[in-house]
Amino acid sequence: MIVSWNWLREYVRPNASADDVARRLMMAGLNHEETQPVGDDLAIDLEVTSNRADCLGHLGVAREVAVLYESPLELPEPQPVENGPAVAELAKVRIECPELCPRYTARVIQGVKVGPSPAWLRDRLATLGVASINNVVDVTNYVLFECGQPLHAFDLNRLTGKEIIVRQPRSGEKLEAIDHRTYDLAAGMCVIADAQRPVGIGGVMGGASTEVTAATTDVLIESAAFAPMSIRSTARLLNLHSDSSYRFERGLDPHGVDWASRRCCELILASAGGQLAKGVIDVGTRPGERQPIVLRRPQIARVLGIDIPRARVRAILEALGCRTVRDDADAITVIPPSWRADLTREIDLIEEVARVHGYETIPEDVQVPMAASARTPLDRLLVAVRHALTGCGFDEAYTLSVVEVNWSEAFSPWTSAAALHSQLPVLRRADRLRRSLVPSLLGALRTNESLGNRDVQLFEIAKVYWQHADRLPDEPRLIGLASGGDYLAMKGVVETLLATLHVNAELKVAPYAHPLFEAGRGVELLLGGERLGFLGELSAAGRKQFELREGSSVAELGVERLLAAAVLVPKTQPISQFPSIERDLNLVVGDDVRWDDVERVVRAAAGELLARLDYRDTYRNVERLGAGRKSVLLSIELRDSQGTLTGAQADEVRDRIVGACRQQLAAELRE
Amino acid sequence: MSLAVFLTELDELLAAGQRALAEATDAAALEAARVEFLGAKSGRLRAIQRQLGAVPPADKPAAGKRFNELKQALEAALTAARERIENQRAATVDTTFDATLPGASRRLGRLHPITQTIQELQEIMGRLGFSVADGPEVEDEFHNFEALNIPAAHPARDPLENFYLSTAATVTGGPYLLRSQTSTVQIRVMEKTPPPVRVISLGRVYRPDTADATHYPMFHQIEGLLIDRRVTMADLKSVLRLFAKSYFGGDVHIRFRPSFFPFTEPSVEVDMTWHQGWIEMGGAGMVDPHVLAAVGYDPDEYSGFAFGLGVERVCARRHGVADIRDFYRNDVRFLRQF
Repeated sequence: MIVSWNWLREYVRPNASADDVARRLMMAGLNHEETQPVGDDLAIDLEVTSNRADCLGHLGVAREVAVLYESPLELPEPQPVENGPAVAELAKVRIECPELCPRYTARVIQGVKVGPSPAWLRDRLATLGVASINNVVDVTNYVLFECGQPLHAFDLNRLTGKEIIVRQPRSGEKLEAIDHRTYDLAAGMCVIADAQRPVGIGGVMGGASTEVTAATTDVLIESAAFAPMSIRSTARLLNLHSDSSYRFERGLDPHGVDWASRRCCELILASAGGQLAKGVIDVGTRPGERQPIVLRRPQIARVLGIDIPRARVRAILEALGCRTVRDDADAITVIPPSWRADLTREIDLIEEVARVHGYETIPEDVQVPMAASARTPLDRLLVAVRHALTGCGFDEAYTLSVVEVNWSEAFSPWTSAAALHSQLPVLRRADRLRRSLVPSLLGALRTNESLGNRDVQLFEIAKVYWQHADRLPDEPRLIGLASGGDYLAMKGVVETLLATLHVNAELKVAPYAHPLFEAGRGVELLLGGERLGFLGELSAAGRKQFELREGSSVAELGVERLLAAAVLVPKTQPISQFPSIERDLNLVVGDDVRWDDVERVVRAAAGELLARLDYRDTYRNVERLGAGRKSVLLSIELRDSQGTLTGAQADEVRDRIVGACRQQLAAELRE
Repeated sequence: MSLAVFLTELDELLAAGQRALAEATDAAALEAARVEFLGAKSGRLRAIQRQLGAVPPADKPAAGKRFNELKQALEAALTAARERIENQRAATVDTTFDATLPGASRRLGRLHPITQTIQELQEIMGRLGFSVADGPEVEDEFHNFEALNIPAAHPARDPLENFYLSTAATVTGGPYLLRSQTSTVQIRVMEKTPPPVRVISLGRVYRPDTADATHYPMFHQIEGLLIDRRVTMADLKSVLRLFAKSYFGGDVHIRFRPSFFPFTEPSVEVDMTWHQGWIEMGGAGMVDPHVLAAVGYDPDEYSGFAFGLGVERVCARRHGVADIRDFYRNDVRFLRQF
């Protein structure tokens, strides 16, 4: 809302500069954007919140200034001279859709002389950046910016049947508006029509066919009330937003309809001449009386933390236009003004009193009682996860929760339920709520690859969305990982993470075939037999799909499973005083023997003395080992918690291991 | 062998040994000298010890005593020579070693700046007694709007102002949408927790803004909620001041400007002092009595405040990030600056 400083001072003249007034208004709720000089005037740009439609006109802003500076407010009281015929003889009005247009008033002026506006009127509009059209249209705009009530002037002689019918459009109706664009009208909109055709989109814009031109002599002045919801949807559907629709959307003073009509006629008579018809056509329902609101005095201190004197409270409310019905020691009862539809409750009055009294009077150094706050286990876990992953050299990524359909379909190992779908794309074509973080992270890898960044390792911790038929979706938090390393490099990161979290369950892998993964290099991760997540090295097809040149591996872990298995507060174990003995074993086994099998057999055979089992290496050599054979090097550390282990005891354990491996895995010891 | 001859040989040996040890200039020469004189198998000291048997019995005590003195003297000379060479070596500089070479570096990953900001804000609010509460990002209209005092006619509910989901309207809760604010979490906390309540909710929120340097359709909010008996706007101002002082350091002041949010009344924009001026911190207000009533709290018994800030804005200002889209591009050259 642009406010002309000169115009404002027609209603209120505080002893203060424009800058001071702008600052005070800002501190009372009209945020000051900027002030620009226009000729000998100032254009003060104020931001009006959606609850304060009353400040979408100079009078409303003037009222705020008058309240803040305790200055008198001078309101025009329009009394246009009516010396024409009775208005009912000149025009007719009918409302067919009272739910869209509860009230419509019309006045008629005959014999106007349309021409340029007087200088004072052009100046006022120039400050606001509104182009001058002629001395009739400019007046309707002037009154809109004066009191907030939009008006429209029709060329009465171009209204077929000299009749206004407020109705919904008929099928296929179109209207060329005064912006000379043609709009398709649809059911649910409110059109202003004459006996034959639409001549305006109610509350939004008038039509070109009946606009006031140099040839116009008789005008019909519309001042009406339109339903805010309908105006909003009409403006949106037509993508046609006007100063008029902006105001009607926010709700206007129902008592302002007639005032604006009289004011408009008075100014047209003064600037364009003519003869005003007697009376007004006023169709629809008149506004009712407002309900009184009780403000209990102790509530002021209870909400604000400060007390405000009784007389001051009453003075503020009355200056704002409230009418005091009753004023007792413990409560004041007022009826709010018609232009403040936002004031309906006690708390609304408290806010009014507070903002006018000044928020600077509220202290900023009171003692707030202390309270305990505990970190949640989830928080502790995520801090530990982030430490571990950054320690492994992974940078944390943040990617959009919503992805394009091809990414959404590329990888969804957790759920087969369809992805949720946003009606509007969140960004470009991204309209699927993601079910996995992996595609987004592969996208981030690609971004980095295309930028020439090397050694990119990324992780993200975020929620994904798994649809349900009958309730809100599941939103599990996942940890996604993506890097240029191979399968084992990625698995090592997962193992390091689990070790950092002191996870008390065993990690196993089960084959998981997926087109994104190289055959045999995709697995489901199981922790203590339950799904932890997925891990895999990308196949050539997978890399192609994400336009990655380099090899990549990904993993995705469920935070919930991790939280269940992590030991966030570890207990120490006694450290053995006795030395340990290490032995290396080089076992030659068939190529189909998995490390999992070796580990199982070795652990079972070693028994309690086994302190540690490490995989070292795998070696293949057809000449030395034979075809289909491999040599697996492992080392064991043995320790007896009760005493010093002897070399003979250690050899015995080793022999037992070798025996078991020979028997169960057809392994030979390679010396 | 007479005692005199033996003693003379001892003296000669001592002199030769001391000279050899003293003349050794490096560890190898010293070791050679040690083997020559003090070698356990064939050293000269060992050889002369064997001659002790040839000394007449009456002279043996004197000869033995003198031999022991000689042995101690040689050993002392060896120790002295060792120390001398050790010190000498410590004093010599290996000129081939380049101490200015870069060390063997290890690359640590970095936490995303948004995470770092959230962690710090969360930690400060934790000290002020606020616990973290979590809630869903996909919400129903009740929690995203109605319970927050945003009625069906409110423009904030326009389908073009929100990311509604295409799922069929369900029996309960109506259509779903991506939450447009984290206040939804506050409603969920109040629904299941009797007062007092002191929580912060934080996370992703979604609004159909066109992405540019200062807007992104997804961003992060942090919101605080405190409900108790006798909670006032003075408490709100004081908590925000403590928060700002903790985060930015120094003596910070707080200013309220009237504003409008459906779920708070009064509603204010919060400014804080910054380099002799004011900057916007976020929005705040006293929880609207309708909101309290909607979750079953008695608005005449309990009152409270809520405040919220955009994490991206705080983070961008603090780290000088000019374009918030950088937060979601995941260019590691950006991420590794934090």
